[in-house]
Formats: sequence, structure tokens, C-alpha cells
Amino acid sequence: MLALKNIHKSFNDHEILKGIDLKINKGDVVTIIGPSGTGKTTLLRCVNYLEKPDEGEIAFSDFQLNYQSVKRKDILRLRRRTAMVFQQYNLFKNKTAIENVMEAQIVVQKKSKKAAYEKSLEELNRVGLADKLDAYPSQLSGGQQQRVSIARALAMEPEIILFDEPTSALDPELVGEVLNVIDQIARSGVTILLVTHEMSFAQNISTKIVFMDQGKIVEEGPPSQIFNHSREKRTKEFLSHFNSNYTKITTAK
Amino acid sequence: MFESNIFFQDFSGILTVVPYTLGLALLILILGILIGGILTLIDQYKIPFLFQVAAVCLSFLRGTPLLVQLYLAYYGMPKLILFFAGLLNFKFDPNQFDPVITVIVSYSICFSAFQSEIIRGAFMSVSYGQIEAAHSLGFSSVQTLRRIVIPQAIIEALPNFLNSYLTIIKSLSLAFMVSVVDILAKAKLESALNFRYLESFAAAAAVYWLLCAMLTVVFRRYEQNIRKKA
Ligand SMILES: Nc1ncnc2c1ncn2[C@@H]1O[C@H](COP(=O)(O)OP(=O)(O)OP(=O)(O)O)[C@@H](O)[C@H]1O
Ligand SMILES: [Mg+2]
Repeated sequence: MLALKNIHKSFNDHEILKGIDLKINKGDVVTIIGPSGTGKTTLLRCVNYLEKPDEGEIAFSDFQLNYQSVKRKDILRLRRRTAMVFQQYNLFKNKTAIENVMEAQIVVQKKSKKAAYEKSLEELNRVGLADKLDAYPSQLSGGQQQRVSIARALAMEPEIILFDEPTSALDPELVGEVLNVIDQIARSGVTILLVTHEMSFAQNISTKIVFMDQGKIVEEGPPSQIFNHSREKRTKEFLSHFNSNYTKITTAK
Repeated sequence: MFESNIFFQDFSGILTVVPYTLGLALLILILGILIGGILTLIDQYKIPFLFQVAAVCLSFLRGTPLLVQLYLAYYGMPKLILFFAGLLNFKFDPNQFDPVITVIVSYSICFSAFQSEIIRGAFMSVSYGQIEAAHSLGFSSVQTLRRIVIPQAIIEALPNFLNSYLTIIKSLSLAFMVSVVDILAKAKLESALNFRYLESFAAAAAVYWLLCAMLTVVFRRYEQNIRKKA
């Protein structure tokens, strides 16, 4: 459904992504793990065109794009099919929770206010925030803000949602509620590309784990392979720094 | 001694020019914001040539007293207009030139330096993350500016604009120097009749103080209202 081919990206002559190839099928939950500074965020940003790769291709089932010759129309097309959930939530500060979710539906998808409102209500319900519709971001906890931003992404009905360390800016006691929401939307069949340091969570929800190091994919495979029978020394070494302790919390509020 | 009836007489005399002063200050504020906005744009986009010119102008405006700028404009502007009128071949009589235009032009330009600073700060206050979020959702740059950045920048800038308004009102007291009648000028005129300087200046101080105190209360209330959203 989505394929990245030979993605290269440099910052100031320093090559960060050194040729990334990745295939993602519909309904997949693909998790990228790897050491800090490896280029995980950069890769996600390239998919969403917040960063322009120097070289490479992205292909959807019916639409293909070579990063070296991109037109404005292509960028919009790409962004309509992908949605990004940021580490820092990045909600619009001057808008309430529901307005945050409605905004792009109105501006980008040209939906009527009423249709956008109903869709937003549905998505906020899905992330458990039906009682916070009119709260401004400053009145919400980090976990609640992140859930609004997930609803904002879901409302666009993208083909894939990109999560960049969605819980790493959160206080530990708020991590669970956000992971639960991601878990639940993963189960509902949404295609996900996720970067996280929550290893046991990754092991739990992913259909595929990708281990990246120094701008390259070192190893990829189902969680059981990567976490238990890794073939690569670097993967094992990286994973030895983590111990599994994610337990699903069933009562997110 | 202090004659309170003269004080009140002067006070009510001065009140008659308050609307004029408020209007003049508002006009200067708006023009200052427009020019300041252009300066900010030139600065942000580093437009060649204009960028250097703007930098020199800003440095001059910050580095010279308002009174000096006012005199410069008062004596310089009619000559400048005369020169261009000659070039473009239309009639201009410097003796008919209304000094209030001098005040409007020089004050607008002078205060545009401050407004430009305010506008830049307001735009900087909108976190880059929100702009990226908008882009990632498919907003164009113009849509991002219109729907996300500008509404927040306005909320951020308004209290500062209102502060500038008070500053302009008080600075207009210098306009007497070029024979424009504002609050202070009116006070001088009142005292010229009876030589009761203390009463009339006390009345002027009272008017300024009252005006600014009242406007401050109104602005505060208003600011608290819009702040709730940010
Ligand atoms: N805009 C930029 N300009 C210059 N260098 C950058 C830029 N963005 C990222 N980099 C560099 O690219 C490298 C990879 O960064 P990236 O954020 O993709 O890593 P990451 O794998 O997401 O790391 P982390 O786990 O810490 O989030 C880093 O060395 C970073 O300093
Ligand atoms: Mg990162």
C-alpha cells in the first residue's frame, strides 16, 4: 500500500538517511526503533514532506512521487494521505479541542461546518475526550492534548498515521492513556508508522518492527523475531538496554 | 495661591480637545502599525536594498529624540513636497501647509519602529510546531498564515498596540511645538489669557492622568477577555 524507495537525506553535507527502503501494507502497524540521532524522526518527516528528501520515491497504490521532481500539487496530495502526530502535540493554541479537529476538515477538505463538527465529535469520542470539546489546549493535560492531536489526525481519514514518539513528552502517569488510544486505533485497522522508545508497547501492537541505526535499516521483521531471535548483533545490543514493562491499562479516562 | 475655579474652568476647556487628541493618536497608531508591518515584512524576507534602507531608518528613529524628528519634519517636509511638486509640475504653497500633517507623518514613522518590534514579537510567539502541524494537515502557507498564525499574533500584539496608543497620546504634547492644538497646547492657550500657569498645567495633568487611567482599565478588561483563549 505504501512503499518508500531509496530515501536519502543530508543536513549540511552530513548524510542522515542513507537509502531507506520500506514497505507497509494496509492495516500494518510498523514500529521504528533505534538509537537517538539515527534519523527516525527525519524519515517520518520525509514521508509527510515536512522535510524534503534529496533522493528517493514514495509510492501509494495509485499514486507515486519522486522526491527529486515534486510539484506543489503532489505535496498536498501526499499530505492528504498521511497524517502526523507530533511529540509536542502541536495543537492550535487559539482553538478549542473540537475546533482543532474541525479546522483542517474545513480548510483543506472543504467540508461544511456541520459535517466537520460531527466527524470531530466522533473522533474525540474515539479518543475518550467527548467531555472536553470546548477546552483550550492550555486547559488540557499533556495526555489529553496528545489524544486531541490523534483525533485531529484520524479525522482527516489518512491512509497512514505517522507517530513520532507520541508519549515521550508526557509525564509517566499520562503515558498509559495515550498508548491505550493508539493500541485501540491500531486494532481498528488504521495503518500506522510509529517511532517509539516504549519497547514492550511496540512488541505488543506491531505487525512489523524496523531497527534503524546510523541512517540505515539494520533489520526488520515481526516483533517475535526482532525481540527474541534477532540475527543482528547491533539489534541485540540495542535491545539489551531496555527491559519490558508495558502492561496494558484498561481504564483510560 | 491655587484657584480651584480656574482649575475647573481650564479642565473643561481642555476636555474639548480630548476627542481631537484621541482621534489624532488613533490615526497615528494605525498608520504606524501599517508602516511597522511593512518594515517587519522587509526585515523578515530580507528584501535586498530595502532591507538595508529599513535598517538605517530604524537606527535613526531609535537614535534621535522625537522632538528633533518633529522639527526636522516641520521644516523639512514642506521643502521636500515643494521639490517633488516642482518635478511633477503641480502647485504647492508651503504657507498653506497644515502642520498637523507634519505631526501625523513624523509620528507615524517614528512609532512604526516600535510597532514593527511588536509585530515581529507577536509572530515569533506562534510556535513553529503549530505551523508544521498545519502544513502536515495540508494547509497552504497562506491558509496557515490566515487561519493559525495571524489570529494568534493579533491576540499577542493587541495589548502592546494599546500601550503604544497611550504613549502616542502623551507624546502628542510635543505637537504644540509645531502649533497643533492637543491637550497640553490647549492648557498653554488657556493660561495665556490669565497667566494662571499652575492651574492650567495641573488641569492638563489631570486630563492626561484620567484619560490614561480609564483607557488602561478598559484595555485590561479587554486583554483578560482575549487571553482566556491563548
Ligand atoms: N533540521 C536539521 N538541521 C540539521 N541537522 C538536523 C536537522 N534535523 C535533524 N538533524 C540531525 O539529524 C540527525 C538525526 O535526527 P533525528 O531527529 O531524525 O533522529 P532520531 O532518530 O529521531 O533521534 P531521537 O531518538 O533522539 O528522536 C541528528 O544528528 C540531528 O542532529
Ligand atoms: Mg526523533
